[in-house]
Amino acid sequence: MIEIKNVSKSYVKDVKSVDSLNLEIKNGEIFGFLGPNGAGKTTTIRMITGILEPDGGDILVDGYSIRSNPIEAKKRFGFVPDNPDIFLKLKGIEYLNFLAEIYNVPIEKRVERIENLTKKFEIYQNLNSTIESYSHGMRQKIVICGALISNPKNWILDEPMTGLDPKSSFDLKEMMREHTKKGNAVFFSTHILDVAERLCDRVGIINKGKLVFVGTFEEMKAKFKEETSLEELFLEITEND
Amino acid sequence: MTNTILLTIVFLKSSLQRIQSKYYEDAEKNKSLRRIVYIILFAFLAGIIGFFSSNIIDALEQSNQETIFIGLILFLVLMVTVIQVIFSSINILYFTKDTESILPLPLKPYQIILARTNVIIIVQYFIEIIVGLIPLAVYGFKMDLGPMYYVPVIITLILLPILPIILISLIVMILMSFSKITKNRNKFQLFTTFLVLAVAIAFSIAMVKIDEQSISDAQMAQMMSKANSMIEMIKGYFPTLKYSINAILSNDIMTMIIEFVKVVGISLVAYIVYAILSQKLYFKGLVGSLFSGENKKKNKKIKLGVKRKNIGRMYIGKEFKTLLRNPVYLVQCILPAVLLPILCIVLIAISLDEATINDILNYLSQINADGVVLLAILGIIQFFSMITYISITAISRDGKNAVFMKYIPLSLYKQYIYKTIPNIIMNLFSIVIVLAVSKYLVDISILNMIVVFVIAMIMNIAQSFLLLIVDLKRPKLQWNSEYAVVKQNFNLIFPMVFSLISIGILALYAETTQLISVYIVLGMIAAIYLLIAVLVNIYMYKRQNELAGKIE
Repeated sequence: MIEIKNVSKSYVKDVKSVDSLNLEIKNGEIFGFLGPNGAGKTTTIRMITGILEPDGGDILVDGYSIRSNPIEAKKRFGFVPDNPDIFLKLKGIEYLNFLAEIYNVPIEKRVERIENLTKKFEIYQNLNSTIESYSHGMRQKIVICGALISNPKNWILDEPMTGLDPKSSFDLKEMMREHTKKGNAVFFSTHILDVAERLCDRVGIINKGKLVFVGTFEEMKAKFKEETSLEELFLEITEND
Repeated sequence: MTNTILLTIVFLKSSLQRIQSKYYEDAEKNKSLRRIVYIILFAFLAGIIGFFSSNIIDALEQSNQETIFIGLILFLVLMVTVIQVIFSSINILYFTKDTESILPLPLKPYQIILARTNVIIIVQYFIEIIVGLIPLAVYGFKMDLGPMYYVPVIITLILLPILPIILISLIVMILMSFSKITKNRNKFQLFTTFLVLAVAIAFSIAMVKIDEQSISDAQMAQMMSKANSMIEMIKGYFPTLKYSINAILSNDIMTMIIEFVKVVGISLVAYIVYAILSQKLYFKGLVGSLFSGENKKKNKKIKLGVKRKNIGRMYIGKEFKTLLRNPVYLVQCILPAVLLPILCIVLIAISLDEATINDILNYLSQINADGVVLLAILGIIQFFSMITYISITAISRDGKNAVFMKYIPLSLYKQYIYKTIPNIIMNLFSIVIVLAVSKYLVDISILNMIVVFVIAMIMNIAQSFLLLIVDLKRPKLQWNSEYAVVKQNFNLIFPMVFSLISIGILALYAETTQLISVYIVLGMIAAIYLLIAVLVNIYMYKRQNELAGKIE
């Protein structure tokens, strides 16, 4: 479970990139975080993961504060950043073992998880090559495998579908569903509204740093015009704000 | 504005970009403070270089050979240019990330090539200010010279690097044109760099040898007795060097202009020939460098789980793998610590004949081995440590991925320690090499070797941590080529400043060895640096989160 409590962040004085954000990602749900470019999605994710320090408020991951108890909080989530160009000079297998060591994954579980994850994403055969030789999609896959190697209860993913081929995208969505069925939480940002509609239990829409909607798609349609498409609803919510 | 000039400006701006912060207001506030810090650092460096230059000029003046100082400095400028360009040209010409964005633009091939080459030349001018302009200005000041000296000096410093840069770039292009046939870009880049380095070293050795053969002992004695005649020895080293020296030393404007016409003529012809030839060579190599990535090995047997190591070893291993597998980092961060001490020793050994070496050894053996020599060894170790760029780039090398440090469940303090250890280890190499050579030359006792080793290590640790803090405070995370991190990075002035401060401290203490025991002096130095190391560690531990504030 991830609790965002009254969190704000400014880069420039008097302009809040994230303004008093309150949000709860419950166990057992896939939560989609939507918003136009520059709305504050990545800033929010960076604050949840400890990359950015909020100006005010707090964020709890399974009850542990990212501000006052960062190591315990970080142990409880796996993070997929928006840029998959990570440690390009390491071999795929070296990267995964490095992460497994940091997350203290025992050797037997590590072998099993690396095999399962990389075979599922069809990069098993490329594990002995350096990540720089991977295509963009393959890099995205190895980063996802790295985030999941410790089997964290909470998944935080920034634009995870970018660069994935249809099969891998389908597999990742299936994995998200399976993960939440076990009582875990998935929080991800996306621009792809169709994916959000079909996959998410709830969505949050952020615009100009403020959360303008939280709820299910049904609630969204009920609140606004039921007959319009999701795309039109999204535009209406973000433009009218 | 022509496209070449426009492109040159764009390439320069993107390679010399400042630290990018989202906190624009903070950045604005800190701008003037940062400028003051740079001015102080520059003034400090200039002061030290000026001080050494002044002493050398005084010594040369005693034997009426002061003009050789101009030759020596210009020769130094040439050597620094050659060494710098060997390392930089291949990266700037072939391995910048913007290549793929530039190629689709409607630009003529020669415009891209000349713009890239202009960047190499302009970056070299910045280095020339320190290596060339300051010592030559000190010379002009001491000799009370006027515009007839300063104007040709400045023109010379502008023209002199052009020819070596063009020649080395051409060699690099010829070698890189074979890159299409290679399957591994990194290994080929490394091979090419080593090859150019070997060619340059062989060339310098050959020059020294030819020079030795061409001047007999009798001729040398004759030169020494004639005022300001030794400069003739330097002139022959490079085609444009002779005319540049003639122009600076000329007494009338006509001679100066004629000599400069020769330099400009040679450089211009070389530039035009380069523009034509490079059009045929450059793109062959460029295409090879863009598309010949590492083959994706498909191994059937993959060892999935490695034997568990502790996190520290794994982390340090990751740092070393990144350094060793990246040719730019390998050449700029790892090799200098190992190669430069060896190279210096080899070049000194080659350039001096056996009798001179014996004279030096006899002289050294007469000096009190417990005193100045020990401090001098520490000074030499410090000199070599200023070119170890591992700590000062530890955060910046990760670029945008540096945020990884912040979202993994590993304390930032521990990560700072792990990121510093490779710098300490690489400095250890040069410490061992310098101590081994010292043992051979001055036969210091084992006890003294151990004492020097321990103090050198304490200094090494303190300095490595301090440099990491500099990089944490001012990381350069937005870059378009690895080269920008390890060369076009203003932070690199700090290792030089720290080492020079340490050398200054050692020099001050050397004065006191006449009065008190050298072991007390060494103990005091050890205590100072130990205290610095401890305080820096406490600071890093207490401020670990604030220190990572710029990583976002």
